[in-house]
Amino acid sequence: MTATSTVPPRRPSPIGRIRAFFGGHQSLAIIAGAAVVLLVLPQIALLPPFSGFGTQKDWVGGFSNAGVFVLLAVGLNVVVGLAGLLDLGYAAFFAIGAYTYAYGASPFLNLHIPFWIMLIVGAAVAAAFGILLGAPTLRLRGDYLAIVTLGFGEIVPVVILNANNYTNGTNGITGLAQPSAYGLFGVDGFGFSNPWPYFVTVVGIVMVTMILLYRLQDSRLGRAWVAIREDELAAASMGINTVTTKLLAFSIGATTSGLAGVFYASKLGVVTPDQFGFTVSFTALAMVVLGGMGNTLGVAAGAFVIYEIQSTGLKQLGQVVQSLHLPVVALGPIKVDIGSINFINYQYLLYGLALVGMMLLRPEGLFPSRRRRQELHEDTDEVAEFKSAETLEAIDR
Amino acid sequence: MKLRNLGVLGGIAALTLTACGSSATPVPTTGAAATTGPAATTGPAAGSIAVKIGIELPMTGGEAPNGVPTANGVALALAKIQVPGFTVTINQQDDAVNGVHSATQGATNIGTLVNDASVLFVVGPYNSSVAQAEIPVSNAAGLMQCSPANTNPGLTKTWGGVDPKTLRPTNPDKIAYVRVATTDDLQGAAGADIAYNLQGKKTAYVLDDTQTYGKGIADVFETQFKALGGTVLGHDSPPSTTSDFTSEVTTISGKKPDYVYYGGVTTSGLGLFRKQMAQQNMASTDFGGGDGINDGSAATASSFLQIAGDAGDPNTFSTVAATHDIPGLDAFNSAYKAMFNTDPGSYSAAAYACTQVFLQALKSVGTGVTDLAALRSAVRAYVATPSNSYDTQLGTLSFDANGDTSQKVISYYGFDATSKDWKFIKQRDFTQQPLGQ
Amino acid sequence: MTAEATALSGPRFPVARLRGPLILLLVILASYAVIAFGAGEQAPAQFINAVTIGALYALIALGYTMVYGIIELINFAHGEIFMCGSFVSWSVITTMGITGAITDIPRLVIVLVVVFLISMLVMGVVGVIIERFAYRRLRNAPRLAPLITAIGVSFILQNIISVGISNSVVTIPQLIPNTKLDFGVFSISVINVFVIALALALMVALHLFITQTRLGTAMRSTAMDREAAQLMGVNINTTIAITFFIGSALAGAAGVVQGLYIGVTVFNIGFNYGLKAFTAAVLGGIGNTTGAVLGGFVIGFLEVISQVYGYANWSEAVVFGALVAVLIFRPTGILGQQLADRA
Repeated sequence: MTATSTVPPRRPSPIGRIRAFFGGHQSLAIIAGAAVVLLVLPQIALLPPFSGFGTQKDWVGGFSNAGVFVLLAVGLNVVVGLAGLLDLGYAAFFAIGAYTYAYGASPFLNLHIPFWIMLIVGAAVAAAFGILLGAPTLRLRGDYLAIVTLGFGEIVPVVILNANNYTNGTNGITGLAQPSAYGLFGVDGFGFSNPWPYFVTVVGIVMVTMILLYRLQDSRLGRAWVAIREDELAAASMGINTVTTKLLAFSIGATTSGLAGVFYASKLGVVTPDQFGFTVSFTALAMVVLGGMGNTLGVAAGAFVIYEIQSTGLKQLGQVVQSLHLPVVALGPIKVDIGSINFINYQYLLYGLALVGMMLLRPEGLFPSRRRRQELHEDTDEVAEFKSAETLEAIDR
Repeated sequence: MKLRNLGVLGGIAALTLTACGSSATPVPTTGAAATTGPAATTGPAAGSIAVKIGIELPMTGGEAPNGVPTANGVALALAKIQVPGFTVTINQQDDAVNGVHSATQGATNIGTLVNDASVLFVVGPYNSSVAQAEIPVSNAAGLMQCSPANTNPGLTKTWGGVDPKTLRPTNPDKIAYVRVATTDDLQGAAGADIAYNLQGKKTAYVLDDTQTYGKGIADVFETQFKALGGTVLGHDSPPSTTSDFTSEVTTISGKKPDYVYYGGVTTSGLGLFRKQMAQQNMASTDFGGGDGINDGSAATASSFLQIAGDAGDPNTFSTVAATHDIPGLDAFNSAYKAMFNTDPGSYSAAAYACTQVFLQALKSVGTGVTDLAALRSAVRAYVATPSNSYDTQLGTLSFDANGDTSQKVISYYGFDATSKDWKFIKQRDFTQQPLGQ
Repeated sequence: MTAEATALSGPRFPVARLRGPLILLLVILASYAVIAFGAGEQAPAQFINAVTIGALYALIALGYTMVYGIIELINFAHGEIFMCGSFVSWSVITTMGITGAITDIPRLVIVLVVVFLISMLVMGVVGVIIERFAYRRLRNAPRLAPLITAIGVSFILQNIISVGISNSVVTIPQLIPNTKLDFGVFSISVINVFVIALALALMVALHLFITQTRLGTAMRSTAMDREAAQLMGVNINTTIAITFFIGSALAGAAGVVQGLYIGVTVFNIGFNYGLKAFTAAVLGGIGNTTGAVLGGFVIGFLEVISQVYGYANWSEAVVFGALVAVLIFRPTGILGQQLADRA
C-alpha cells in the first residue's frame, strides 16, 4: 500500500559523478590532486595579486617550506585527529629526523648517505623514537599524555643543545648535503638557488604519505583508531588492542615528522637546536585543529593556507594599514600607535584570536570530516533537519 | 556551513588581494615598521643603470634595536655617496620571526634577494646563527654578502674542528661572504686582556648562556686567561631562559673569584645576573662581558646597565669588535643624527663601511657593464680578492682570503659613574699586538 | 575528604590528613641533605634560594591545580596571567612614582598592600573574564578544544603586553630593601623572608578557605561530582568563576613577588614559569593543593641542585625529566590526585 512516488529519481550531475569516482578511487584522486598542485600552483603565483609580492621562484621556494608544514600537519593529524591522542611535543620527532639526516649526510660524522635513503632511515629512526616514547606513556589519560609529550618536546632541544660532543651543541651541524637526482628526468641539481626540484620532491613526499594514510584510514587499523577516539572502553571490549593501536598511531605520526625533518634539513643545509622549539609543535597542532581534525585533505589545505598567511600575508597586511595613515591613540601607560602597526608583531595576537574564535564557533575546523562535525554539533538544528529530511524521504518512498 | 567556509576563505583571499598595490618606503626609519619585498625605485637617472643593494637584518620585535640602526647606516651611505652611471636603491628583508631572528627566514630572504636580478650585494646578517644558513645560499648564487656584525669565528675560519668550507659546498673557493667585524677569538682574548692585564686579576669564574655567541666567546676567554697565567675557578652555563641566578651567584661567591666573565647577550639575563651579584655582596667583584652587553647606557631601556641597576653597574667591562677611534666619528654621528633624528647604533658605522665597500667595488668593475648578472659576479670577484683595499668609515680595510677584515681591533669599555654609560678605555689592534703579548 | 581519610577515621592519630605535610617535610629534609652534600658550607644559603623560588612556583602551581581540579582543563593561559600580574605591579609602582626600595616601614607596608591588592584583584577579574568568554562554552567539549583555546588566550595576552607595553625587559623597582638578617650560621635577606612568609600565608589561607568555608566546600563538591553538587543547590557557574578568580589572584600575587624578588619582567616569561609551575602541580598531584605546594618546592630544589652540582645547563632537562618520570611511574603524582571519579 505504498503511495506511488511521482518524484523521478535524480540523475547524478557531472560533478556528482566525478565526486563519486574519486571517492571510490582515493589514491588516484590524490595523485591527480598532486599533479594539479604541481602544475597549477606555480601558475597562480604568476597571476596579478600574487606576482606583486615576489617572483615565481620566491613563491615556489615558499611552497616548498609550506610543504614541510603540510607534512607535519598531516602526520600530527594521524595522532590527534584520527586516534584522538593529544600530542604537544611533535617537534621532537621533527628534530630527530633532521638530526638523523645531519648525522648521515654531512662532514660531521663523515657519512654521505644519499638523501633518498636517508628519507627512509630518518623515518625509521623517528618511528623507533615514537615507539620508545609511546610505550610507557600511552596508557595515560588524555591530558597527561599531552603533558608528557610537552615535556618530551622540551627535553629533546635541551639535550641537543647541551650534548656538545654528540650534536655540536648550539653551533649545530653545518654542511648538510643536498639531495641528488642523479641526472634523472633531466634535473640538473638541487641547488640552493633552485627551488623547483625541492618543490617537486616535497609534493611527491606529501602525495605518497597521503596515499598511505588514506589507505590506513580505511583499513582495520583506521577504524580501530576511530573506535578508540570515540570510546576507548567500548573499543577495548570489542577486542581492539588499545595499546598497540595507539602505539601505531603515535609511531606513524612520528614517521611522518621524521620525513619532514629530513627534507627540511636537506633544504636548509644546517640544523641547530633552536629550530625545534614549542612554536613548531604548536604551529602544527594549530594547523591540524584549524584545518579540520581527522580530515587529511582538509588538514593539508589548512596547513598550506595558514603557512602562507603567516609568511607573506601578514607582512603585506602591514603595508596596507601603513598606507592608511591612522592617528596615534594613548590609553594611560599603554600607548598604541595604530599608524605604524607592523602586523608581524601582531601575528600571535591574530593567531590567538583565530584559535579562540574557531574553538568557540567552529571547533571542527575549516574543512571538517563529517563525523567530526556531527560529534561537535550534536544539538544543532542543521543536523536535526538533515535527519528529519531523511526520515521524511524514507516515509515518502 | 559551506557559505561560511567560503566566507572564511574569501576573507583570507580578500586580505591578500587588498594588500597588493601598496607602495613600500625604501628607507627604513627608527621605530617604523620595516618593509619587505622589492622597494619602489625612484626612476633611474637618464642613462644610469638601476641596481639594488640588499639588506638582510632583523628588523622587528625585540630585534629591532639591533637591526634598524644598522640598516639606517646603509641608507645613510647611499644618500651620501653616488657612483656615476648607477642608481642604487635598497631591497630590504627582515629575518625576524615573531621578534626573534630565524635562520630559516634568513635563508629564504637570501633566496629572495638572489632571485632579484638587480641586487648586486647584500649587507647582513646580524646574527651568526642566521649567517650559517645564508652563506651556502649566497655562495651557490655568487651574491656577495658583507656582515657588519657577525663575530662567530666558524663562519670564516676553522673553529671547533669544523672547516668553514662545509658552509660553501657549491663553490668552496669562491667566497661570497665577508665581514667588517672582527671575530670572537679576538674578542674573548681581549676580555682576558682586560681581566688579567688591565685589572690585574688572577682568578676568574667563567659563565656562558649556552648560545653560539656566548659559548664561543666564553670558551676563548677561558683559554686565553689560562694562557696569560690566570686560574679559572669554574665554568657554568645557566640556560638562556634563567631569570633566577641566586643559586649561581651563591656558588660563585663561595669560590671567591677576582673576576667574573659572562659570555652572552643581555636578553639571556646577564643584567639580572649582575644585579643579583650586587645583591649578594659581590658588587665589588669585577664583571666582564663581550659586545652582547654593550647595548646602551643606564638610561637606555632594557640595556645591560639599566637592568643591572645602580648597585650592579660599577666595576663592569665590555668589549666591542670594532674600532672606536674611527676617523671622522663626529662628522658621521652628526650626519646620522641629521638624517634619522637619533644617535647611531653600535653597528651603523660598520654597515656604512660595508656599503662603501660595495660602492667602491661597483665603481671599479662597473664601467661599461650593463648586464646585471655580469655585474653581480664582477662585484663578488672584486670583493673576494684580498689585494683590494677600501677607504671606509672604519678606516682603510681589506679582506683576507677567508673574508675576514684586516682590521683586527677590539675596543675596551668600562662603566663610568659620571656619565652612567660605557666609557671607552682603549683599543687593541691585534695585528700590531698579537695574542699572548 | 579523600577515601583514605574516611577509611582511617576513628580515635587514631590523623596520619592520613597529615600525610601531605609529612611528605613535604620529608622532601625538604632530603633536599637539604642533597644540597648540603654538594654545596658544603653554602648549603643554608642555597637551601633558602631553593625554598624562595619554590614558593614562587608553588603560588603559580596553586592556580593550575585548582582549575584543573574543578573543570579538568590545563589552563595554559595561567602562566600569562602571572606575567600580566607582574606588569600590573610594574604599572602601579611606576604610577605611584616609586623608583627604589622603601625603607620607611609603615609606608612600605601600605605600598605593598596596595600593589598586592590591585594586582590580585585585576588578575582575578581577568581570569574570570577569560573563563566566561573563552572556556565556559567548551566545558563539555572534547579535551582538545579548551586546550587549544587556552593556548590561544595565552598568545593573545602575550601579544597585548608585548605590543602595548614593551617587547623587551622591563625593570620593576624592588620595593623591599635588601637588608640581611644575620643568624650566625647563615644570613637571609628580608626579601626572601617576605616571599616565603607570604607564600606560606597565602597557601594556608587558601587551605582554610577550601576546607572551612561554604564557598570552599562548594568548590570541593563541584570538583568531586558536578551533577550531584548542582542537585545540592551549588551554583556551578559561580563556583567555577570563583575558582578562576582565586587561582588568577594567586598568580597575580606571584607576579608581584617576581617584581619584588627578581626585579624584572618580560612579556614572554609566562611560558617558562607556567610550564615549570604546571610540572610542579602535576608532580605533587593535580587537583591537590598541598601537592601543588610540594611540587613547587621540588622544582625549586631540582633547579638549585642541578646548579650546585655543576649541571646548570641541564636544569630544564632535569625538571622535565622528573615530570616525565613521575607521569610514567606514578601518574597521580606524589600525593595523589584529587579529581572526580569518572567511569
